[in-house]
Amino acid sequence: MPVGELHARPMRINFGPSHPATHGTVRIVLDLDGEKILNADVQVGYLHRGFEKECESGHYYQNIPYTDRLNYSSAMLNNVGYCLAVEKLFGIKTPPRCEFIRVIAGEIARITDHMLCVGAMGLELAAMTPFLYLLEGRELALDLLDALCGARITTNYIRVGGVWADLPEGFAPFCRERLDRIAGLVDDAHRMLTDNPIFRQRLEGTGYLPAEELIAYGVTGPLLRAGGVALDLRRVQPYLVYGELDFDVPVGEHSDNYDRYLVRLEEIRQSRRMVLQCLERIPDGPVNADDPRIRWPRKGKVFNRMEELIDQFKLVTEGDLAPAGEVYAAVEGANGEVGFYIVSDGSGRPYKCRCRAPSFSNMQPLARMITGRMLADIVPTFDLINMIGGECDR
Amino acid sequence: MHDDENQATPGEPSPLLRKVLARLGQQVLEHRAWRGDDRIHVDRRQIVEVCLALRDDPELCFDLLVDVTAVDYMGQPDGFRRPVEIWDRNRAMVRRGPLSRHQVAMPERGPLPRFAVVYHLLSTRFFHRLRLKCRVPEDDPTLPTVTTVWPGANWLERETYDLYGIRFQGHPDLRRIYLDESFVGHPLRKDYGKRDEQPVQPLHGPAANEPRRPH
Amino acid sequence: MPVGVIKVARPAPTLAQRRPWLALLVGLWVATRHFFQSAFLFARGRQNFTVHFPEQRFLQPPAMRGMPVLVRMSNGKERCVACGLCEWACPTSCITIFPAETADGVERYPEVFDIDMSRCMFCGLCEEACPEEAIVMSRQVEIACYSRRGSLWHKEDLLVPRDQLQTRLDYLHRHYDA
Repeated sequence: MPVGELHARPMRINFGPSHPATHGTVRIVLDLDGEKILNADVQVGYLHRGFEKECESGHYYQNIPYTDRLNYSSAMLNNVGYCLAVEKLFGIKTPPRCEFIRVIAGEIARITDHMLCVGAMGLELAAMTPFLYLLEGRELALDLLDALCGARITTNYIRVGGVWADLPEGFAPFCRERLDRIAGLVDDAHRMLTDNPIFRQRLEGTGYLPAEELIAYGVTGPLLRAGGVALDLRRVQPYLVYGELDFDVPVGEHSDNYDRYLVRLEEIRQSRRMVLQCLERIPDGPVNADDPRIRWPRKGKVFNRMEELIDQFKLVTEGDLAPAGEVYAAVEGANGEVGFYIVSDGSGRPYKCRCRAPSFSNMQPLARMITGRMLADIVPTFDLINMIGGECDR
Repeated sequence: MHDDENQATPGEPSPLLRKVLARLGQQVLEHRAWRGDDRIHVDRRQIVEVCLALRDDPELCFDLLVDVTAVDYMGQPDGFRRPVEIWDRNRAMVRRGPLSRHQVAMPERGPLPRFAVVYHLLSTRFFHRLRLKCRVPEDDPTLPTVTTVWPGANWLERETYDLYGIRFQGHPDLRRIYLDESFVGHPLRKDYGKRDEQPVQPLHGPAANEPRRPH
Repeated sequence: MPVGVIKVARPAPTLAQRRPWLALLVGLWVATRHFFQSAFLFARGRQNFTVHFPEQRFLQPPAMRGMPVLVRMSNGKERCVACGLCEWACPTSCITIFPAETADGVERYPEVFDIDMSRCMFCGLCEEACPEEAIVMSRQVEIACYSRRGSLWHKEDLLVPRDQLQTRLDYLHRHYDA
């Protein structure tokens, strides 16, 4: 019914900032005609903490814990991205064992992120049970990260030129057992959701945006792959050891929410494949690059020898003195390309440390996706964008 | 430091840079390939033409704008050839560079323009990357917008405006994106102290409508 | 190894699309199976997942990073020599140290060693920077308090005898002496 016939005016409502269905703090100002969205203004920034300003006053190693807080549902991938950027700045090559460990840790983090995204979306579409299964699976994956680095969410595990510690004893069988249980739980969620008529009706065709427009908006990650563009940095610009692994990049073709859901579910399975292959092939050897500019000396030597003690003091207080210059390095995060652009002036602190956050770019076309659609379509669209407040607002 | 970017000789341009130079010609003021990253400098008045050329050229096809940001080179007159100090009025001194330790000095104004706006481009067909930089002076921090080339530049330019105060001419909706509209100043500029605070604006009473000022 | 690109298969509308009660049956079947699995594990004395927290504790891995504490040696003194490296390495500057000298004028010790637990983010960089193995991450995470003042931990609160930290120290020795 057109506006005006019943003397109706468009109604302006607030969706957020604290709405049960916006699990990132975001505010969408909507102009509604009945249930139809006439106009949407997406406002972000409620979680802005000044990540970049903070990084400018911290040494390179001190900023690693801050990167945990960007995308806090897959913190490990941010650690990897930041450390790869700093290593690129220094021109360091990391040993192979370290790269395998990074892939294992990063893929487990990706599993947790996708499970949280799909589970929370189910929950907000009133599918409570798969949420419980997926969160249980996520806990199992977080136990793996816990065994690896001692913390579930804020990992702070990857170091410049290496990782903090080697894999713990008995990690491979533990990991295989956990991944099998996770696969079972994902299959259960898949059984309950994928074929469910109500679920399909709410996802099929909603949030549609053609791939060309997604590219123009700078969208990356599962959102773009659901539109049929196989842009996965692990495939097109293999970093770490992704070039040696055997995996598939899932793409959709309809570019709607249902394909995004299917792509995420398939990526969980592909990540599991990658972790299993890495556990098979992981070589022995050191886990840290032997570069005196960045490598903190071994503790056993710090306690007993003068030179290493002096090194320790120099590295902690002055930081790792980087060559002046600027680099950009990107990894495939759970939501898209996580890039770090670091400008160095030759001191131990970055002159500028910019995080290219996928959530920020992915949130931009949200207004386009929901304008002209129904109010209830916002929730699945927003959830499958998987906007993480910490990453979007930094 | 023998391998830093200023001391490395420009050398042969990479294959991608050669294509870019062939396409853009005189519009490229400077180019450099370092650590596998290709970077070109262009004039800020020509940014839209350059971006259109880079996007539409069939051999380059930079159709995905990855990132827009800015760098504040305050008091870095010649790049980073010598250690410099950054003035921070809260902490008196942020030590920069390995040589100096305790001197306190306001940075001098360099001969080069203060800001640089940085665009990162990616091609979804050839998967190559390019970094595009253009210098923006302090007294006239304006730049034509590239939202006409990539609509995704909208929020990224708003963010750059919010945090650096660089105005993008022709931008459809140049508002602050992270900070409140009543925020004074641009926090990622180097002369904005890390611990500067702004008073919370009272919601009621006579002072409610007065603009906030940093103390 | 070439990386393949697969198209996610959108399942053709099955019978369940036309008969929604079939989807209900599928869901009920999955949920019932989970119920009996959990009940079976519960009967065997092994909870599937839930931990009844204050009575039961979850199993902490050796790598567990809890709150940072100071090591107390067998003579009752702290091991810390107040060199200030942890203070320097801490990203959030939550550590405050005032050093002092012992009576014989040779050794240093921290007269004040405060950690502001409301700012600490348990990142473990202090432990990594410490050249004396004097500050380590314990397994203690229950540090809730009723006031902000209570989240400021002083040296006396932070000192923990060395033998209580043996798990963590063993873990560190395995990795640090490589």
